[in-house]
Amino acid sequence: MSEIKRLTQIPVLVAAIGLGSACVAGSAFGSSGGDDVLVLKVGKILTMNADDDVINNGTIVVRGTTIAEIGKWGEVDVPAGADVIEMTDCWLVPGLVEAHNHTGGSMSDLHDYVYLTNPGLRTLDTVAPQTPDVEWAQSGGVTSALLIPGSGTNMSGFGTVVKFAGKSADEAVLKFPASIKIAQAGNPEGYWWGVGRMFMNYNLRATLEQAREYNAAWEQYESGQSETKPLFNPMWDDFRGLYRREFVASVHTQIYQVVMTTVDMLADKLAIRTVLDHSTFDGWKTARLVTEQGDILTMNGPRQFHFDRTQRKIHGNAARWWQSGIRRLGVNTDAPVIPQHELSYQGAMACWYGWTPYEALRGITRVSSEALMVDDRIGSIEVGKDADVCIWSGDPIDPRSTCWIMVINGDVVRDARDELRRF
Amino acid sequence: MLTTLMSLGRRLIEIRRFVVLSMFFRHVRVLPLLGAALSDGSRGMRFRVRSTVGSMVAAVMAVGFVSFMPTGFAQQPESAASGPPPAKVALTGGRIIPVVGPEIATGTIVVEHGRITAVGPTDEVKIPYDAMEVDVSGKVVMPGMIDPQSWRGLDVSNENLPVAPFLDVYDAIDPSRLYFEDALRDGVLAIHVIQADNCVIGGLSRVVKPIGLTPDEMTIAAQNGIKMSITPKRGFDRMRQLTTLRETFAELDWYLEQLAEQKYEESLEEKEKKIDVGPAEARERGKDLIKDEDYDDKHANLMRLRRGDFGAWIFCGAAMDVQPGITLATDEGFLDNAVFILGAEAHKAVTQLKAAGRPVLLPGNLYYRERDQLTGELKEVFIPSEIHDAGLMFALQPNPGGSLAEAYLNYQAAMCVRNGIPRQTALEAITINPATMMGVGDELGSIEPGKIANLVVMSGDPFDFESWVELCYIDGILAYDRARDYRLEKQLELEATRAEQAKAEEDATKGKPDDDDGDDSAEEGDEATSEGASAEGSSEEGDGDGDGDGSGESGDTGGGDQ
Repeated sequence: MSEIKRLTQIPVLVAAIGLGSACVAGSAFGSSGGDDVLVLKVGKILTMNADDDVINNGTIVVRGTTIAEIGKWGEVDVPAGADVIEMTDCWLVPGLVEAHNHTGGSMSDLHDYVYLTNPGLRTLDTVAPQTPDVEWAQSGGVTSALLIPGSGTNMSGFGTVVKFAGKSADEAVLKFPASIKIAQAGNPEGYWWGVGRMFMNYNLRATLEQAREYNAAWEQYESGQSETKPLFNPMWDDFRGLYRREFVASVHTQIYQVVMTTVDMLADKLAIRTVLDHSTFDGWKTARLVTEQGDILTMNGPRQFHFDRTQRKIHGNAARWWQSGIRRLGVNTDAPVIPQHELSYQGAMACWYGWTPYEALRGITRVSSEALMVDDRIGSIEVGKDADVCIWSGDPIDPRSTCWIMVINGDVVRDARDELRRF
Repeated sequence: MLTTLMSLGRRLIEIRRFVVLSMFFRHVRVLPLLGAALSDGSRGMRFRVRSTVGSMVAAVMAVGFVSFMPTGFAQQPESAASGPPPAKVALTGGRIIPVVGPEIATGTIVVEHGRITAVGPTDEVKIPYDAMEVDVSGKVVMPGMIDPQSWRGLDVSNENLPVAPFLDVYDAIDPSRLYFEDALRDGVLAIHVIQADNCVIGGLSRVVKPIGLTPDEMTIAAQNGIKMSITPKRGFDRMRQLTTLRETFAELDWYLEQLAEQKYEESLEEKEKKIDVGPAEARERGKDLIKDEDYDDKHANLMRLRRGDFGAWIFCGAAMDVQPGITLATDEGFLDNAVFILGAEAHKAVTQLKAAGRPVLLPGNLYYRERDQLTGELKEVFIPSEIHDAGLMFALQPNPGGSLAEAYLNYQAAMCVRNGIPRQTALEAITINPATMMGVGDELGSIEPGKIANLVVMSGDPFDFESWVELCYIDGILAYDRARDYRLEKQLELEATRAEQAKAEEDATKGKPDDDDGDDSAEEGDEATSEGASAEGSSEEGDGDGDGDGSGESGDTGGGDQ
């Protein structure tokens, strides 16, 4: 059954039956906001919870915006009047969470090259729920993403976690500030010709230490250790959450020396909760340091392999990290470098180069939401969590699978069964 | 293509030899006196030696190495039998060149917990009952050689800032550089990592050993020196260069005055007094109130330089740069901690250098050649002889941009002996002298009780170019074993294959009727090729930061990611 043939089938319900698709739509779907009840009945639920529970032939009940009940068919009461979507050969998985996305605003909003470190900037100003990027994300089952500025400078601003739903920026934002974007090397060199890692690291450290001192001064004042009220500074004030470890540094870092410096400077010496974004090339060789540090998450990619010229070998980056003992591991697309809807393909590629599908899927759901420190809300299918889930035709890491239904905050925001365009 | 990728990918999964990085201190790696294997060091063989530069690069690129080790790190799979390295080791039966003190024909060195505790003739030294004995009979043991300055472990040799004394090479050392692995293979067990000469004032340097996953693990001594250049930085002329140097220190004086005045005023405020003296007096009174933490980054290291906390490594590319360098160091009070780094022509200022009496670091190319423009007469000076005759302490550095052989410190020293410098002086120039110049002369550079156990075991005399580095001990731990140098093994295999091919081709040519002519032309052809290869090798090495190790590819990492 070719893709083209599928595309030409209208209407979709007819198409689904006509093609012998196992995904049979039940009653009408639609907006179920407010206190409405939505019931999803599927063949398999990958909860991605801490126990890695898999529920075969399961049902979830969504009340309002959160998940109210999870169980096997028949064990869960379907409330009268609920909207029911029944796709009994399909998989229900948490909405995918992208840890590294640049689709806020337009491409001209990517960088501000005023300084080599720009602690005053924030992507909150670039949240754009109206862009086509949202549809792209939805088509790939990606429900949330961290919007961050580019890596043209060593520090480019604060990131924002958004959901790919909502008509205004306010509705879309899940967390702000959600990260400070840092690029330790491998792009900022182009900002000011001649700048090397020695100066970049010095300068970045100096900026972060200034922010840390600001936080320390306020903490002393607030705890009564000091009676001098520090001068309020809106720019440094955004960093207080960073030093309270309420949000992370998302670090553009790759190749051995740079990842090593990230671990040493940010995670160890400055005690910042650190996420290694990219972490490509031979960055995985720092695994011992990352393991010893103990509190770092790794969001690998989008380059999923590295050709080592001295060894004449191709290494799968994610596989190498995993084999080196790194467990809190995920992948990213760097959208739009790799289109946002291809997040699951990045997972597939990581598997092609030696990783395993379940770990890859966990890496773009639960682990990536942990990396963004929003795992209390999203990243797994658990009672009380946001109803951000997707119904897939099969394993999302299998490139043949389609994301048919996307639910965000309990609303069906996309139903691919009646759409002609595939991404 | 796809099939190839797929099979590679699958093979990766199967590879079991996953090396635990934390184990790597226990294991060992290796080095090439690649040229040494193939040359007797004589001039006649020079071309052949040179040709190996190109092929060595090719070998590094072309050969598949053991998986999983960071480049520059050893690659021994963990064996079930390996435990922690022994705390006590005794090297017995070798000829010992302690550098400080007379040679010992058959001696024993005892190492305990990383330090040398005894050295002497085998029949006089008692080996502790719990020391592991390593028989090095027939071999020669010398102290680890020292590279007195290198920026090849850095991502860029210099930052673009003319005056940057607040920087530290710590932030840019890349332990995964092949350079460090090569150093180990060459018996260079301490490296002074310092910025290059394209600066006015550079950042702080560091003495490292060539093993370790991080600069912290590699560090022997931190903040050892600061680079400054009298020869103009790119884009500067001499007047601007020297003005910038003077300005930097004049600004430091001004800053100190302001700081002193401020400190004095602050002390008054605390006592609720009013300012009672003029600025000049306030500055005088405030001087002693300044504490170390009061200096800002920009000035702190300049103050420490004046105070003698670390050395000034002053580059004088030309003879005319020497006197201004001495004057600056004298005026600013750091002459006693100065090391003069000489460019090719700078030896002509030997009189001034002698008057200053400070140690000098010689250029990589030890010969200075100058042609008379009118007569065409070529004058050749062997620089170390000039410096030695003046009675100055000097250190040698490798010349990676020159011939292959010049990249080895022991070859550089051997060249000194060939030119009439005493053997002892030549040995000191690659061991104890650089250690002294870096301020670690009491820790490194000789085999004496109390010193760090950095030892090189060679197959023969270090000045015999057929000698190999067999074993290296760093902190008393076996850090290199030629028998387990996988990369070297592959390189040599490649060399052997090539030699066989060349011989086969030669034999085939001999079989032809125009026997004699064929031979001659083949020889000439070889030579031409050799020259080409050497030029290529030079440019590869000459850019200062091109290790071609696959990890320094920030250029590649550039454009794609946003």
